[in-house]
Amino acid sequence: MKLKEVMDELGLKYVCGELDKEVVHGYTCDLLSEVMGNAKPDTLWVTVQSHMNIIAVATITGIRGIILCNGHDYDEQTIRKAKEEGITLFKTQENSFVVSGRLYALGLR
Amino acid sequence: MIQEVVKKVQEFFPDLKVSEFMNKSVVWINPGRKLLHVKEIMRIKRISGVPVVDENERVIGIVSLEDIIKALEGDYIEDPVEKWMTKNVITLKPDDDLEKTISLFEKYGYGRFPVVDEDGKLVGIVTKHDILTGLLVKLGTIYLHDARRKEVLENPKFFDRSLITEEVIDKKGADFSFHIDYFDINLAGIGASKLKQFLLEKDIDERIARRVAIATYEAETNVVIHSGSDGYIYCFLRDDQIVVRVEDFGKGIENVEIAMKEGFTTAPDHIREMGFGAGMGLPNMKRYSDKMVIVSEAGKGVVVEMIFFKEGRENETQGSNG
Repeated sequence: MKLKEVMDELGLKYVCGELDKEVVHGYTCDLLSEVMGNAKPDTLWVTVQSHMNIIAVATITGIRGIILCNGHDYDEQTIRKAKEEGITLFKTQENSFVVSGRLYALGLR
Repeated sequence: MIQEVVKKVQEFFPDLKVSEFMNKSVVWINPGRKLLHVKEIMRIKRISGVPVVDENERVIGIVSLEDIIKALEGDYIEDPVEKWMTKNVITLKPDDDLEKTISLFEKYGYGRFPVVDEDGKLVGIVTKHDILTGLLVKLGTIYLHDARRKEVLENPKFFDRSLITEEVIDKKGADFSFHIDYFDINLAGIGASKLKQFLLEKDIDERIARRVAIATYEAETNVVIHSGSDGYIYCFLRDDQIVVRVEDFGKGIENVEIAMKEGFTTAPDHIREMGFGAGMGLPNMKRYSDKMVIVSEAGKGVVVEMIFFKEGRENETQGSNG
């Protein structure tokens, strides 16, 4: 599924990055090592972590995009780094549970 | 006693699967044969239990040494196997973990459990001996450091040798090196990201590059969070493998065995709030590398060496614990 479709379906706020990329999987977790240990490539990652290191985790793991929940904002550095590394960023007021459920309903696994 | 030991060490290997330690060359028998034949097989092969399989290779029973003794006492050793075999066979699946295996041994007290695939076909057998052998193989990579720790840490010339192969490592000749010279946790992972980029540029398979990067990220983060010093990442590209070595000169690890446990962490709260310090770092490094040795002692820094084979792992979109 294209990130653009996900964004439209969930009404996500767009922050930066390409929208034309495909994602197949979703993963929800705030512990970075867990994410790296378990998330698959081509994943859309749901988290409340906003600091710059999430971009390193995403790049290494092959995560394509990140949804930041609970109305949190990304650090400026994070956005800059995401642009460099080509990671797409979204944010939303919803919590991780709701976002995960809706992604699941859209067909991400 | 063995059970106690195995129980203790199993916590270190939550991702060890039955398929990794089962004995694949299983001796089996057809239901129509006589118990006498089982007795002969047991004597010649020196085994104490034989699974019974039907024409479709499916496990339908098992005969133990005890059954044979009873048959000899009851004078029915000439009877067909199917008449006296145990029909409710407890089996394992190749994907079952060590914990499940040990719980079966504890619960039923049997000496062996056949391993069957989804169709019920016999693919292996597990005895306590197989578990022990499997664990020893795994332990070998972690506990190696005990014997060599001293010479490595106290003799500078060992610091220039591979922990795994003992060859001299020419760090200046590394294909990739990175100085971990920052203390800001926000930057953690830049070395690993650069390494991944480097590997991809060298046409290394993306799945392997990913494994290397994940394991290196964990090692790099450890240096930043825990060492209190700077450190280095070195990567060497060999024909069939990639070697990564991450060293620091900081506080060291007091007890590597405990640190290897999933969930164990010494990270302070402010670090944990950022999502670090989940206690998964060392286990992730072990999971994603093919061989890993870690040498450390309190106050003397940490050296982690990991080998990744270019061939041989399948389905590596995830770790083996997926």
